[in-house]
Amino acid sequence: MFYRTSGQFKTTYESDQALFPIKQDMILLVVILAAMYVIFPMFASEFTYKALLVPVLIYSLASLGLNILTGYAGQLSLGTAGFMGVGAYACYKITTIFPEMNIVIALFLSGFFSAAVGVAFGLPSLRIKGFYLAIATLASQFFLVWLFEKWAWLYNYNASGAIEVRTMDIFGLVVTGPTASPVVQYYFVLGIVSVVTFAMINLTRGRYGRTWKAVRDMDIAAELVGINLMRAKLSAFAVSSYIVGIAGAMMVFFWKGAAEPNLFDIPMSFQIVFIAIIGGLGSVMGNFLGAILIVALPVVLNLLPELLGLSIGSATMEHVNVMVIGSLIIMFLIVEPHGLARFWALIREKLIIWPFPH
Amino acid sequence: MKHFTNFSRAVAAGALAVAMSTAAMAADGLNLPNLTYRTGPFAGTGTPIMNGQRDYMLMLNERDGGIGGVPINYVECETGYNTNKGVECYEKTKGEALVTQPWSTGITLQVLPRTNVDRIPILAPGYGFSPMSDGNTFAWAFNPPVSYWDGAYMILDYISDGDMTSLKGKKIVLLHLDHPFGKEPLPLLEKLAEMHDFKLVPIPVGLKEMQNQSAQWLQIRRERPDNVIMWGWGAMNAGAITEAVKTRYPMENFLGVWWSGSDADLQNVGAKAKGYKSISFNAPGNFPVMEDIRKHVVSKGNSMIKSEADLDTVFYQRGIVISLYLAEGVKTAQDHFGEKNINAEQLRWGLENLNITEARLEELGMKGMVPPLKTSCDNHTGHAGGWMLEWNGEAFVQASDLLVPDRDLIRPLELQKAADYADNNAPWPGRGDLACN
Repeated sequence: MFYRTSGQFKTTYESDQALFPIKQDMILLVVILAAMYVIFPMFASEFTYKALLVPVLIYSLASLGLNILTGYAGQLSLGTAGFMGVGAYACYKITTIFPEMNIVIALFLSGFFSAAVGVAFGLPSLRIKGFYLAIATLASQFFLVWLFEKWAWLYNYNASGAIEVRTMDIFGLVVTGPTASPVVQYYFVLGIVSVVTFAMINLTRGRYGRTWKAVRDMDIAAELVGINLMRAKLSAFAVSSYIVGIAGAMMVFFWKGAAEPNLFDIPMSFQIVFIAIIGGLGSVMGNFLGAILIVALPVVLNLLPELLGLSIGSATMEHVNVMVIGSLIIMFLIVEPHGLARFWALIREKLIIWPFPH
Repeated sequence: MKHFTNFSRAVAAGALAVAMSTAAMAADGLNLPNLTYRTGPFAGTGTPIMNGQRDYMLMLNERDGGIGGVPINYVECETGYNTNKGVECYEKTKGEALVTQPWSTGITLQVLPRTNVDRIPILAPGYGFSPMSDGNTFAWAFNPPVSYWDGAYMILDYISDGDMTSLKGKKIVLLHLDHPFGKEPLPLLEKLAEMHDFKLVPIPVGLKEMQNQSAQWLQIRRERPDNVIMWGWGAMNAGAITEAVKTRYPMENFLGVWWSGSDADLQNVGAKAKGYKSISFNAPGNFPVMEDIRKHVVSKGNSMIKSEADLDTVFYQRGIVISLYLAEGVKTAQDHFGEKNINAEQLRWGLENLNITEARLEELGMKGMVPPLKTSCDNHTGHAGGWMLEWNGEAFVQASDLLVPDRDLIRPLELQKAADYADNNAPWPGRGDLACN
């Protein structure tokens, strides 16, 4: 009824291949974007920005990067956090060497460093596959964190051993550092995430996306139809690490404000892998759904007892939280092993024919 | 992209929940939150300290009706030592809070610049980083009673029996966590090694090899150092002590920083670790304040401790000492401003003008438990000194007189690193509009 597609005729190839061939999808998108850009900022508190909205966006972006590599190109990677670190440290070095540079340019430049490192560690993927590749990327994870700790030049020989973000502005508007207002940071992150997401939706629909999917589904067949495996795999590594690097830089510059090397250690890699798997491998939207479940839900759950007027110790709540999230993950994986994105796709299919299934 | 629906719905629900809860959080009294870590990889060392901190505040509420008659609203927010949770907890508690106690170094680094803007004092007793002592740079940060550099000096002072020239030609290993915290004493130790001509061998222990240090102890066996100083935390301490026992390293030459002196780490090896030492700014014992806690908190079943024996541990009592500094800061501010319900800025003044004399400690029933402490505008640490504690096979006992750091030597280093920090984080507000009086 609400999602009825009958009567929406496609008369040209162009309209048939549009990003949103169904009118209702377009309306939904407009509603969501309006909510993100207009409605949330009208109500959100500083806590909501710092603990919910910004982290969800940043983790979604990192997971989107990983999804390009794992979900679209089929190359398993456990080194995401390390590549995020490369982006963050590159952005830190760029902004300290060229203090005058616009942070947006620095951010997009730093992605190239993580892309280069990603390609270098992606080279083994030309010879090894599956779990063996996962182990190879694991090596990059350990190596990079070790490097962040040992190479003092990377953190400008700081006594604290961590990278700290100084105050920077764009045309007089403070965007990083302690004086930056959370709303400004939120809009900045939202803008970048929107742009990258839009670019990735198109990229994965296009020639590169199709090459990656062909390699994922069967690399020998892909090679036989004339796909250059080396180019396909390395381009996936490059694009993926580029996005992941930007996400890492944003995490430090627009959210945390300081970072120790071990922030980029393996637990974060796993967290992002979980987001990608639970959200749905090989989908763009799944990353956002996964990030909501893994990043935002624990924060909201922590607030529940207070809302209900229960007095539960903070530590006890933390234990309960871990159990609830854990069982939710298991439940979702049992109900829909292909992730939340597939879950939504099923709902949508049902909606299209509802209420007349025959 | 149609598919963002669920996203928006969930976030909308979240935003609503948050908006409601922040309103509900406001409560009467003195809001003194603590970002605890009773869960996660460091819970073992965190829990006793958090218990001590909590019980002292509860005791003040029961015995005196709070501080200056105003009840304390002591809230815990669990971080599990995780920096992401740290941001969440800081944002959640800061609205009504008079102070923030971030605990982990990572969270401290994240929160430190924000406290200047939010105008909340940050209390990091025995951790934080050494340059915080310079109150003219770090106007809102406090790390009483001693900094890590003070600690490193005091340990060497003890080893050399007060005469550092006797260290000439000796070899000292620094077994440290390979992490900003573990590397903290290096600048000072390197400087002292150069001055007094002893050989310093830093041996790092990675975060992933905390529990398996056989490689490090093999190296220690080869090096045959005169002393091993440990800068460890969490699982690293127990790992190192077990390895030291296994490789038969003479325990009396093995010394640790105050975070490497938890009873729980040594109980496993018991008598075999006899002679192990740890510098500490609190001496364990049965002080009158402990009786009050027993009477007002523990016997009423309000404490979170597992057994009464926990009361005697060094870490539990250190928690009490940490809460003491905060409570005294509140009291100093109340007395000075003549207001019972102080605000965060007034508490900052209170922490900057702490004067915990011997007589005051006697009054509090804590004489001999902590050294007297006095802070000022350019001294946010107090540098009160500490004692060397020795493990006698069953418990830690005091093994030295009060050791104090050589401030003339350490101060220039602090000023220099504080200036570096301000440069890196430019524009750093420094003292800003806060008068020093």
